[in-house]
Amino acid sequence: MQMLEKIWGLASVVSACRKKSFAGSVLAVAVALMATVVAAQRAAPLPDPFPSTYKPLPRVDTLIEHATILDGAGHRLENASLLLRDGKVAALGSNVAASKGVKVIDAKGRWVTPGLIDVHSHIGDFPTPFTLEDENHSDVNEDSSPDTAQVWALHSITVQDPQWERERAGGVTTIQVLPGSSNLFGGRGVVLKNVPAVTAQEMEYPGAMPSLKMACGENPKDTYGDRNQFPVSLMGDVAGDRQDWADAEEYMRKWDAYNAKKDPSLPPPHRDLKMETLAAVLRGQILVVMHCYRGDEMAVQMDVAREFHYQITSFHHATEAYKIVPLLKKNHVCVAVWPDWWGFKREAYDGVPANAAFVDAEGGCVMLHSDAVVDGERLNLDAAIAMGAGRRAGVNIPPERAIEWLTLNPAKSLHLDDEIGSLAVGKHADVVLWSGNPFSVYTRADVVLLDGAVIYDRNDKARQAVTDFELGQPVLEEAR
Amino acid sequence: MRAKQAMWTVAPLFATLAVAAVAQPARPDGGRIAVIHAKAYLTPGKDAVENATILIENGKVSASGANVTAPTGFRVIDAKGAIVTPGLMNSSSSLGLTEDEGAENTDSGVSSGPFGEAFDPESALNANSTVIPVVRGDGLTRAAVLPSNSAAPPFSGQATLLVLNDGQHILDKAHAAVVAKVGGMIVKSTGGSRAAAWMLLRTALDAAVQSGKPATASKAPLASFAGTTPDNLAALKPVLEGTIPLVIECSRESDLRQASKLVDEYKIHLIVVGAEEGWRVAPLLASRHISVVLDPFTDSPASFDQIGARLDNAAILDKAGVQVAFKASFVAVTFNAGIATREGAGIAVANGMPWNDALRAITSGVAAMWGIGDHYGTLEPGKDADLVIWDGDPLEPTTNPVLEMVQGKEVSLDNRQRMLERRYAPSQVSSPVPPEYRP
Repeated sequence: MQMLEKIWGLASVVSACRKKSFAGSVLAVAVALMATVVAAQRAAPLPDPFPSTYKPLPRVDTLIEHATILDGAGHRLENASLLLRDGKVAALGSNVAASKGVKVIDAKGRWVTPGLIDVHSHIGDFPTPFTLEDENHSDVNEDSSPDTAQVWALHSITVQDPQWERERAGGVTTIQVLPGSSNLFGGRGVVLKNVPAVTAQEMEYPGAMPSLKMACGENPKDTYGDRNQFPVSLMGDVAGDRQDWADAEEYMRKWDAYNAKKDPSLPPPHRDLKMETLAAVLRGQILVVMHCYRGDEMAVQMDVAREFHYQITSFHHATEAYKIVPLLKKNHVCVAVWPDWWGFKREAYDGVPANAAFVDAEGGCVMLHSDAVVDGERLNLDAAIAMGAGRRAGVNIPPERAIEWLTLNPAKSLHLDDEIGSLAVGKHADVVLWSGNPFSVYTRADVVLLDGAVIYDRNDKARQAVTDFELGQPVLEEAR
Repeated sequence: MRAKQAMWTVAPLFATLAVAAVAQPARPDGGRIAVIHAKAYLTPGKDAVENATILIENGKVSASGANVTAPTGFRVIDAKGAIVTPGLMNSSSSLGLTEDEGAENTDSGVSSGPFGEAFDPESALNANSTVIPVVRGDGLTRAAVLPSNSAAPPFSGQATLLVLNDGQHILDKAHAAVVAKVGGMIVKSTGGSRAAAWMLLRTALDAAVQSGKPATASKAPLASFAGTTPDNLAALKPVLEGTIPLVIECSRESDLRQASKLVDEYKIHLIVVGAEEGWRVAPLLASRHISVVLDPFTDSPASFDQIGARLDNAAILDKAGVQVAFKASFVAVTFNAGIATREGAGIAVANGMPWNDALRAITSGVAAMWGIGDHYGTLEPGKDADLVIWDGDPLEPTTNPVLEMVQGKEVSLDNRQRMLERRYAPSQVSSPVPPEYRP
C-alpha cells in the first residue's frame, strides 16, 4: 500500500499545468507587439511528424428523447430530445422528430450531458499495472534533466492500458495526457479521443494543439535537489524557467533570421528539439499547461509568462486558486483542480473543497481534472463534492453550471470549444447518457458516444472494451 | 454568537450551517440532550425509524425510538425530519500520525530499530492535527489507524482505534490488532519473494505459540528474525488468544487463500485489508469469518496483485456474508478519509450493495470488526452518543453534516479549511483588509 502510494504520489507529483486562453482575451493581456506576432503565427499549425490516424467508430444516427439535458453551456432542458446525425449534433430541444432509420433511445428519467473532458491524465504514460520498475523509470517523467521540453507524452503511451476503459465507463470522451511534474519543462502533452486503439496515433485528436507541460514548486526542486543538482530551491525553479525562455528567444531569432533570408543555399541553424518546442510556445503554436499549487507561485509564473510573451493556458492542481482569483482573471488563466485533495504535501496544505465553487463564483474559469484514474472515472462525483462544499460555504452551483467544469471549460482550455464541450448544433456528437442526475453517487453512465459512435454501453458487453492485457486473465473470470 | 434558545432547529439548513460554521463552546446542557423528529438509523442494517427521539445522558444514548419522549430539563434539538446516523468510522488511515506527510511530522512507520509486531504508534498520536477536524467535518467520529511498516516485515506493528472528539483524549482502543502486509509491490521488504513473507508470518506465530510453553515442549523455530524477539512475540499473544485480530493487507487471490489458511492453523481472528480479488473467494472468507476492509473506488489493475479489482467487490462479499468495511486510496486514505468513507459507501451501493448494509459497513459493522461494538456503532441505549444530523443522504457527496456529536458532546464542524474559505470567500474579494487581518 505504502509502495503504491509512493508511486501514486509520483504521478500526482507529476501533474502539470496547462494554459488556457479564451480566444481574444489572451491577446488583450499580451504586449501589443507580441500579441500581433502570436495572432499571426497561431494560424500556422506546427508540423506534425506523428499525425493522427483517428477514424470514428461505426455509428448510426440516434435520437435520445425525453431526457433531462445539461447542454454544457449553462442550460438545462427538461423532457428534451437530442438528435445525432453523421457524428454531429443535428438538433436539440423539445420538438425534435426522428426520421426513418434513426435509432431512438427513450431516456425518460435519465440525464444527458456532453462527453466529459479530462484535461490532466497520465493514462497510457503511467499505465497499469504499476510495477516496481516504475519507482525509478516510470514512462511518465523523463527526469534526467529539469528541462526536457523535447519529449512527447505521445511517445510513452501504452494503448493497452485498462484505465482508458475505466474513464470511458465514467463518461470521459476526450483526454489530455501530460508528462509528469518532476521537471520544470516536462515535455509535450497530447489530446486523445478515448477510443480503443492499437496505436497511439489512432487516438490522437485530429488538429488539436499540443501542449507543453511545465511545473513549479516542490516537485522539480525535490527531484533535482535530492541529487544535489539544479534546481534545489523555488528560486532555482524560476531561474531555470527564465534562462530557458531566454535561450528559446535567441533560438527563435536565429531561425527567424534564417527564414527571412529565404536562401536555400544557406545552411540552416542547428535544430534543437528542446528549443524548438519552447520557440513554438513563444510563437503561440503550443499551449502552456502549468503544474502549480500555491497562489504566490502562480503569481510569479504569470509574471514570467508576461516577461517572455507567452500565455499560460491553465494552472493545474492550483489548490490555492481561491486566493488569487482576480489575478487569474486579469491574466486570463483557467485552473484545473481536484475537488478536495489537500495535505499530502506541504504545498497542498491550504487546499479547500470550496476552491472550484469560489473560482466560479468570482467569475474565474475552473475545470476539474483527474491526475489519477480513481478520480478520472468519476469526475462527475468530484464535481458533486465541490458542489456540496460550495453550498456549505454559501455558493450554490446548479448542475447546469457545474457540468461546464467538466465539458465546456476544458474544451476552451484545449482551444477545441468550437468542436466539443457543449451540445450545440454542428458540434461533435460526444454524449453521455446517464442513469440519472450525474451528480448523484448512485448514477452511472449508461451509454457513452464519441463522434456519434457508442464507445461504451453499460448493458452491452459488446461495447465494453477489454484490453489485450486483460484478455485471458483467469482472475477476471467468474469465480469457480 | 449562537442564540441560546432552549430549542433550535436544523432547518433551514443554511441558517444552521452558518451557525455550525462558528466554533462554539459546548452549551451547558448538563450533558442531557434530546434529538427529536429524526429519521434515525438507530440500528444500522435496519431501516430508519421515522420521527424518532434519541435521549443522551452522560455521553451515552439513554433511550431511543419512536415512542420515546423528551423529559423536561433536556436540551432539545429538533432534527425536523432530517436523517440521523451514528458517527461514521473509517478503517485504514494515518489520522493523528501525519500532518502533511513530511518525515518530521509523520510517525506511522519505522524502518529500523528493534520494533516489529510490537511497534505501536499510539504514543505519537497528535490530537492537535489539523486533519482530524477536517475528517470530523465530514461525519467521521471513529477511525482505525494502521501502522505503515515496521523494522520486521511483513509485520507493520499495532493498530490503534481513535475517537475523534475535540479534546486531547482521542484514544478509543490501543493494541487493537497486529498488522502485517504481503504483496508483490512490497516484495523487496521480505527478500524478494512473497513466499518469504508467509514463512516469516508463520515463523513468528509458531514462535509465539512456543514461547508460552515449557522449554521442554519447545521445538526449534524455523528461523529467527527481528519479529521473533521476545517483545515482538509478546505482541502476538493476544492474537493467538483470539482477543484481537491479525490484520493482513493483501490483494491477490492466492494471498487471500493463504491468509485463510492461517485462520485454520492458528484459530485466529483475521481482518484482510485490500482484498481487491476478494470477490473470487467470498464464500471461503465468509466461512472463516474473515472480515474485509476494501477500497470501493478501485477497479483498475493498479498492480499485478489486483488484476481482478472490480467495483462490485463489496456487493459480492456482503452478499456472501462477509463483514465489509471501507478505506480509500492515496489522498483519501487520511486527508479526505471523511468524505471518502461515505462516498465510497455510496459507490458500493451504486454497484449492488444494499444501502442499509453500506451504512452498517461504516458504523456498527466496522465497530464489531474492530472490537468496539460494545460502545460504538449504533444509537441504541448504552452506546456512546456519536451521531450526525445530515442535510441529505449521507452517502451523497453533495450532502453535509449540520450537527455532530461525539460521545454525547456537540463538536464544532469548523476546521482550518473552513476558516480559509471564510477568509477568502467571494464576498471578501473587494475587501481592502489583507486576508491575514481577517478572522
